Amino acid sequence: MWLDESIPVRFSLPAGHETGIDCVSSAISQEGDVLLTVGIIANPVSGKDIRRLVAYGSVFDNQEKVRIIRRILTGLVAAGVTRVMYMPDSQCMVSRALENIEAPMEVEEMDMHMENTQDDSIHAARKMEAAGVSAIVVLGGDGTSRAVRKGAPNTPLLPVSTGTNNVFPAMMEATVAGLAAGIVATGRFPLERTCCRASILDVYIDGEAVDIALVDVAVYDGMFTGSRAVWDMDMVPQVFFSRCRADVIGMSAVGGQLERILPEEPRGLALDLCPPSTDVPVVTAAIAPGRFASVGIMRRVEMLPGQDCPVTISPCLLAVDGEREVEVGEGRRASVRLNPDGVWVIDVPKVMELARSAGFFVS
Amino acid sequence: MKSPDKKVLLSMFGTMHKIRAFETACQEFFAAGKIPGFVHLYLGEEAVATGACATLRKTDMITSTHRGHGHCLAKGGDLKFMMAEIFGRKTGYCKGKGGSMHIADVHIGILGANGIVGGGGPLAAGAALSSKYRKSDTVTVCFFGDGASNQGTTQEALNLASAWKLPLVFINENNGYGISCPQSKSMAITDIADRASAYDMPGVVVDGNDVLAVYEAVSEAVNRARQGKGPSLLECKTYRWRGHFEGDPTVYRPESELKEWMAKDPIPRFAKKLLDSKQATQAELDAIVGGVKKEVEEAVAFAESSPYPELADLLEDVYA
Repeated sequence: MWLDESIPVRFSLPAGHETGIDCVSSAISQEGDVLLTVGIIANPVSGKDIRRLVAYGSVFDNQEKVRIIRRILTGLVAAGVTRVMYMPDSQCMVSRALENIEAPMEVEEMDMHMENTQDDSIHAARKMEAAGVSAIVVLGGDGTSRAVRKGAPNTPLLPVSTGTNNVFPAMMEATVAGLAAGIVATGRFPLERTCCRASILDVYIDGEAVDIALVDVAVYDGMFTGSRAVWDMDMVPQVFFSRCRADVIGMSAVGGQLERILPEEPRGLALDLCPPSTDVPVVTAAIAPGRFASVGIMRRVEMLPGQDCPVTISPCLLAVDGEREVEVGEGRRASVRLNPDGVWVIDVPKVMELARSAGFFVS
Repeated sequence: MKSPDKKVLLSMFGTMHKIRAFETACQEFFAAGKIPGFVHLYLGEEAVATGACATLRKTDMITSTHRGHGHCLAKGGDLKFMMAEIFGRKTGYCKGKGGSMHIADVHIGILGANGIVGGGGPLAAGAALSSKYRKSDTVTVCFFGDGASNQGTTQEALNLASAWKLPLVFINENNGYGISCPQSKSMAITDIADRASAYDMPGVVVDGNDVLAVYEAVSEAVNRARQGKGPSLLECKTYRWRGHFEGDPTVYRPESELKEWMAKDPIPRFAKKLLDSKQATQAELDAIVGGVKKEVEEAVAFAESSPYPELADLLEDVYA
């Protein structure tokens, strides 16, 4: 039996309350003996990088993020979540979201020093996991989700896309996303039923784990992180994927034209690239919104869990999930390994189907 | 994009130091009462002007602001003529009658610093329109601050630049304060780049304390403009170390904020990258710093030894 009957959760719509944030209650919140806590980490700078200039990346202004957070909060309340912790940010996005709704829940802005870098997301996630949040809702792109996973490796994440390439986070309706995160937070269903255990990539330098990537690691034949994004495939001689599909955008679209690897599969893909020529297979893929590139495939290797796959050049930079991030000095040995126990990712359709089959929202 | 070559990298390092040394000298001589009028120093923001102007040709144009020393130096302004102008001497760019906020050198595309907040946008749009009209491939860069981004003139320039696909790059230097007013008190948004979408142009947020990030972003925007694809808006997040003007007590901002930003000083950050990547040795960087120091000292000596304008010069070059 996958329902944990020991946890007395009941979802119901009280009479006369069809819509709105204050209309759904749960037995847990009514009994007042358990606080169901969900974390929210919203990156105010996602969706604003150079890919709006070198490609046709969508513009995600922070007003839209505020509206998304508002919808997520309504979903969380409807699912019975009684407490939200959130990372503060320079835009005050969560507090602005709360201005126009009445959320019958405890809301805690985390007391933390902000650096206005991705380290903020890492630190916030770490504190949230230590505080025992049941799930973390992440607003941002691949980079933001990566930072949150670094801080909270054991907490289920719900990555809502407000970034550019959108491979790891999904575009989804935020009300339902909040509802699903809230249902997972109740613990009513085991994580195996509601989440995907997605593989990630661990990055090593001289045998020491230094970083991770959720989706891809691109070896960048340059010296400077600069504007961080990667759009010139001539500079990329090698790339590693934890997942790839033909219908995604970004670096993993290159691998996606060759293979379909689902996030939960215990295998990855490593490619050695070269300029397109008649001597090698040539892949054309959408590497950024509105931007295509063709690359030659010199070598193609399946990555197995834990297997050490060496980076073939140094010095270089490693772009993790699309951003030049890790510097590999001259003579250093970098490598990438597939980690099948990477991250719990909430599967919204699966959660909502479970809720439907259990009759949660039918009285 | 390819990394800039060593010559460009070292040139940018030299320019950043030149601005730092020049502005430090201005700070010192203003405090000593040797500089008349106002000075608005660019200390802390060196990476923006440097990274941006390193992508430009001599024939490309810039419009500057009241905080314009860095822009003019990065575009190739003569240190001696600049310093003499700031000292109010006859040998200065404006014969000593314009001062800090009116330095211009059209021969190298410096269309002028500007004492009017938001005054540069329409001038830049006009310059870019002339390039388009003359079928020239020159590009204009409009530097403006976060305060200027709220001015109608700036919005009008953004609008027409986009409607007419002008070869123009808007570079917003967002240092968080319009004079003493924090950005949160004067606008509901925090990313000025968000405004670009209203004019159907790319808007990008850039780390304004990373000269290489600025260089990459402006390179792409300039190439786009040169290819006739229209304007872009780049918002470079940075911070001014000094007050709005010299003498400003800066009671409106916490000391801790200044310390945080000083820890992000763009110059040692860039030096470290140059050394780590083996693009430069410490001896090479030291030689550049020494050369720049000498240049600034010579500029100060030139200014101090130059005469003030005569009373009879008062109405010379007055057009209206």
